[in-house]
Amino acid sequence: MTVIETEPPEAAAAAELSGEAYRVAMRRWLRANLPASFCSDSAAFLPPTLPQSISWEAAMYRAGLAGITWPQVYGGHGRTLREHLIANQEIGAFAMPESVNSIGKELAGPIILAVGTEEQKRRFLPAILEMRDIWCQGFSEPEAGSDLASLRTRAIRNGDTWRINGQKIWTSGAYRAQRCLVLARTGPLEDRHRGLAMFAVRLDAKGVRVRPIKSIDGRESFCEVFFDDVEVLQSDALGAPDEGWAAAIRVLEIERATNRMYRAWRFENELRHLIAACKSDPVLAQLVAGHHYAVKLGELVVDIEVLKAHVETAVGALVNGDRIGARGSLAKLHWSEAHQRFAALALELLAQASLPPPPAVQVARRRFEAIYLQARAETIYAGTTEIQLGIIADRILQLSRGK
Amino acid sequence: MTLTGDGLQPSEFAVTAARAVAECTALSLREQARHLANDGLLGVIAAQDVGGLDLPLAFAVPVVAASGSGLLGFPLIEALLVGRALQESLPRAAEAVVSGEMLATIAWQGGVGAEREGESVVLNGWVARAACASEADCLLVRIGTGAAVLVPTDGEGVVVEDATGLDLTVPEHAVRLQGVTIPAASVLPESTWNLLCSDANVLRAAAILGSADACLTLAQEHASTRRQFGRALSYNQAIRHALARQKLGLEGIRHAITRSVGGEAGALQRDAAFLAAGVYGSAIGEGALQIHGGMGFTWDVPVHRHLRRVRALQAQGDASGVLAALGRRYVGAIAPVADTAVSG
Ligand SMILES: Cc1cc2nc3c(=O)[nH]c(=O)nc-3n(C[C@H](O)[C@H](O)[C@H](O)COP(=O)(O)OP(=O)(O)OC[C@H]3O[C@@H](n4cnc5c(N)ncnc54)[C@H](O)[C@@H]3O)c2cc1C
Repeated sequence: MTVIETEPPEAAAAAELSGEAYRVAMRRWLRANLPASFCSDSAAFLPPTLPQSISWEAAMYRAGLAGITWPQVYGGHGRTLREHLIANQEIGAFAMPESVNSIGKELAGPIILAVGTEEQKRRFLPAILEMRDIWCQGFSEPEAGSDLASLRTRAIRNGDTWRINGQKIWTSGAYRAQRCLVLARTGPLEDRHRGLAMFAVRLDAKGVRVRPIKSIDGRESFCEVFFDDVEVLQSDALGAPDEGWAAAIRVLEIERATNRMYRAWRFENELRHLIAACKSDPVLAQLVAGHHYAVKLGELVVDIEVLKAHVETAVGALVNGDRIGARGSLAKLHWSEAHQRFAALALELLAQASLPPPPAVQVARRRFEAIYLQARAETIYAGTTEIQLGIIADRILQLSRGK
Repeated sequence: MTLTGDGLQPSEFAVTAARAVAECTALSLREQARHLANDGLLGVIAAQDVGGLDLPLAFAVPVVAASGSGLLGFPLIEALLVGRALQESLPRAAEAVVSGEMLATIAWQGGVGAEREGESVVLNGWVARAACASEADCLLVRIGTGAAVLVPTDGEGVVVEDATGLDLTVPEHAVRLQGVTIPAASVLPESTWNLLCSDANVLRAAAILGSADACLTLAQEHASTRRQFGRALSYNQAIRHALARQKLGLEGIRHAITRSVGGEAGALQRDAAFLAAGVYGSAIGEGALQIHGGMGFTWDVPVHRHLRRVRALQAQGDASGVLAALGRRYVGAIAPVADTAVSG
């Protein structure tokens, strides 16, 4: 099966709805259309293939669950940020796989909306929502991780074309992507933040080579990407040549504050699943009914509530027209660490199940072992914990660094 | 709920409260009561009939936060809550509390047995964690599971023990009640106690927010001015990161409280705000003490007083009991996995 047969698109009807009515419509649609096999809390779980993911996400878009706040002229649904939050709360309630195009929808899209030309918006944005273009993010390099401003990939302009040379690493999903959001240097290395530009590079362009890397979970989820004299047209350059850093920072702020806004609600879904699984095993049921785990699970509930409070505050600020700025680091720091605490506890609990463990525990083990490993990356990508702490110290507390 | 009919915002109370709290520094407890009452601060959530402003709990949050950051030595949370708790059954007494004439407090721990004798009730028992009880005129005490009773502290059979606990500015007392006879009309309805506790925990979170905010400001200032190895302490990454974590905790408390008094909030959000405040607030106080080094151990640096208060408030609201109960409720509400379960 490659095409997801969903109920007739309700987008037209849903477009009239707002607030709670919109929530109910989205919830109903997800209930009716999300295949059980896509849900990692189901015994029928079978991770979707790439074509399945693509058609599922395209269906979600048609139903009103992607491009929620993007303007309608670019294929978006033109809704409010509050409705974006509502949709994310509903998406988070299901154990569905993460988008294969979250970089397109949550990073490339917003940046194109912010700095792209009219022509770029019309060309790129609908293609992202319709899942014709999957994007990846080419920022990190072997010699430039936390210290992104030291990146070496070069872009040299010659009239209407640029030539890009260099190497990116840890580029999530590059093997399945059509486009890469590349940050490259246009000025001298000593200039650090200045002279960086952003490009929308086609991955099938001549001179691009993508090499998957086997990662911690045994899958080939991220890649090395090599650029060998790759020709990129000026029409694929995003924003002015020297604005690349400012644009990158903006992307990263979004990534930290609002990216995968459903995280808090997914986290709740994970906790509920863990408890439900434990309660279906006599040994674990007794454990989670006891004082020790009541306290530990209570702490996680507080973590989740605090995370929701961070997310809702960020949305409130954005609705008021504030730029989120460095405050995105607060939410990022909290969710990444809280999720790791949770994943470790889930492993600890599930390891104590009866022998042989009942099917529900086996399903949970498979899910939480994956979550545990993936969560180890959450304090690394989108800026490590140490980098977030540095941002809070520099830009929020404005602590002096001088002598 | 009445709200912002005349365009009032909770934040507007912050400024008035901060000023009033600062002015209370040199005053006696009774003078403080009148001073705070004059600014309308004791009646923020009490009904207009008893001299209050009849505003939702959200409006008491900035007032209590200001009392925390200013280390107010007054049982403010108790006064706010007693004024409102008495407004139906004992409106005169409520008015006296709101106007600052009568000093009221609450014994948060323990409860008493009550036996009816005609128009009177006889109380026996042992209660504790009653802020400023040695100076208060009256004391609200729990009876049984959820009722409460107002007891005059000068009544026969009421023994207020010496203060115990960490908070020196708002000392907590244990109180023995031995055959204390009070009018039956002083007994408040069965639902009183739970509402009091739930609101008190939100306000404790607010008080902790104020203290934590003050601690972080002090630590930040100290880190920028104290020099070691020829540089300000704030030059060192270990110090920067410690302060950044404190900031994360502070904002976590702030946002959790805002959420707990929002339209859709319930017991879960309230418990979460209180518990987050206890955990992060203690960490901020302890972290601030660490950053002050030896300086923090000099009595004049107020960090220790904030830390004392945060710990006292955490215990007063029975943080560990609330946490375990929250976990148990959460676990209890979730059904085991059914054979074909899908989330959502
Ligand atoms: C699963 C995963 C997916 C990723 N996906 C992408 C992607 O799609 N696109 C992309 O561009 N990148 C991606 N990344 C890369 C990620 O952004 C970098 O790994 C990250 O920025 C850290 O850089 P680094 O790995 O070079 O570590 P380093 O910068 O070498 O850091 C190593 C350690 O040193 C610490 N450290 C570094 N500098 C300091 C400092 N100044 N003070 C204190 N401590 C410091 C770090 O916090 C870290 O603990 C991904 C990474 C992972 C793990």
